[in-house]
Amino acid sequence: MQSQEKKTDSIPIKTNRYGLRLGVDLFKLSRSFYEKDYKGLELVGDYRLSKKYYLAGELGNENKTVDDTQLNFTTKGTYFKVGFNYNLYENWLDMENIVYIGMRYGVSSFSQTLNSYQIYNRDHFFGDSPLVYPNEKFNGLTAQWFEVALGVNAKVINNVYVGFSFRFNKLVTNKKPDNFDNLYIPGFNRTYDGSFGVGFNYTISYFIPFYKTKNALPAIKKK
Amino acid sequence: MKKTLLLLLIAFSFPSCEKDDICDEKTSTTPRLIIDFYNVSIPTDKKNVTKLAVFSEGVIDSITFDGVSTIQLPLKINENTTKFRLVLNNGNTNPLLVNEDILEFKYDAKTVYVSRACGFKSIFTLDNTNPYNLTDNPIPDLLWIQSIEVLQPNILDENETHLKILF
Repeated sequence: MQSQEKKTDSIPIKTNRYGLRLGVDLFKLSRSFYEKDYKGLELVGDYRLSKKYYLAGELGNENKTVDDTQLNFTTKGTYFKVGFNYNLYENWLDMENIVYIGMRYGVSSFSQTLNSYQIYNRDHFFGDSPLVYPNEKFNGLTAQWFEVALGVNAKVINNVYVGFSFRFNKLVTNKKPDNFDNLYIPGFNRTYDGSFGVGFNYTISYFIPFYKTKNALPAIKKK
Repeated sequence: MKKTLLLLLIAFSFPSCEKDDICDEKTSTTPRLIIDFYNVSIPTDKKNVTKLAVFSEGVIDSITFDGVSTIQLPLKINENTTKFRLVLNNGNTNPLLVNEDILEFKYDAKTVYVSRACGFKSIFTLDNTNPYNLTDNPIPDLLWIQSIEVLQPNILDENETHLKILF
């Protein structure tokens, strides 16, 4: 008996901590300072469900003015994304890093303001088209989309994590304004080809541990 | 792992995006008025105009059409009327051949969203009761335009003929 117990003690123990991780997107936050036409904030969070799966989501708000050659508009709104992350990274001992692939379903509620535009006219016989300032605001717009996320979350000190992720988005529903389009959607970003989008975030977050599970490393356990 | 592969497949199945910030030449934007010329003696036959110069008040430039039976005229996008001076055989040494008519169009302009790159365009609808007003030169030289027929009052693009002129 005694010898057996000693043997168990010699097997390395792997600790799995479960809890809630909350953070903020530094990319949006910093852009708000250096980009004149942008204000944005995104809070991120995940909750560990099992060894590999995390319930994950983002909550954000954006105010962006886009100045294109033919038109200038401002998009304002709030979004929410929920889904999961799957950890592809096999951690050693007490390492707690995450390299994940995940999915999200995003919902955004926003308004578009058409600030100015110039009628596109290839004929210049009567001169260039004047710039029009309609200041037309379209309220109550919504969009929903799927997102595939590829990202990393690395523990830097104690419970502090730094991470980044790339997103590929595809619109599912898109309530467009009358005689205009949703060229930018909060949380989804610029719309490409009418329904595609890409995203990026750079986060710093804090992990609040709830409980731990201990299990021996599977490889040694088999032995 | 199977799930992971599936997710990766979804991630990379996004089609490559076309460049959408340059307004494509093929995209229909603000249309011009398309006019076809026909022979007044044989109204089914198209007739070419010779040295047809188009002038408009306040515009120094003119548009000249020569040896064509179809012409394109731009309409003012921020007004409801556009007046043209149509001079046939413009610059001809024989002043008897030079003939000027004044043609004014009355219409409604509407702004329509096109795309990110092209922005907005104008489309026009010729007035129901008075789509045009044909008058002679202030120095009378008789009308060279014999008859006008509106084929399509909705000027949405340049793919169809909107007006038929017999001379």
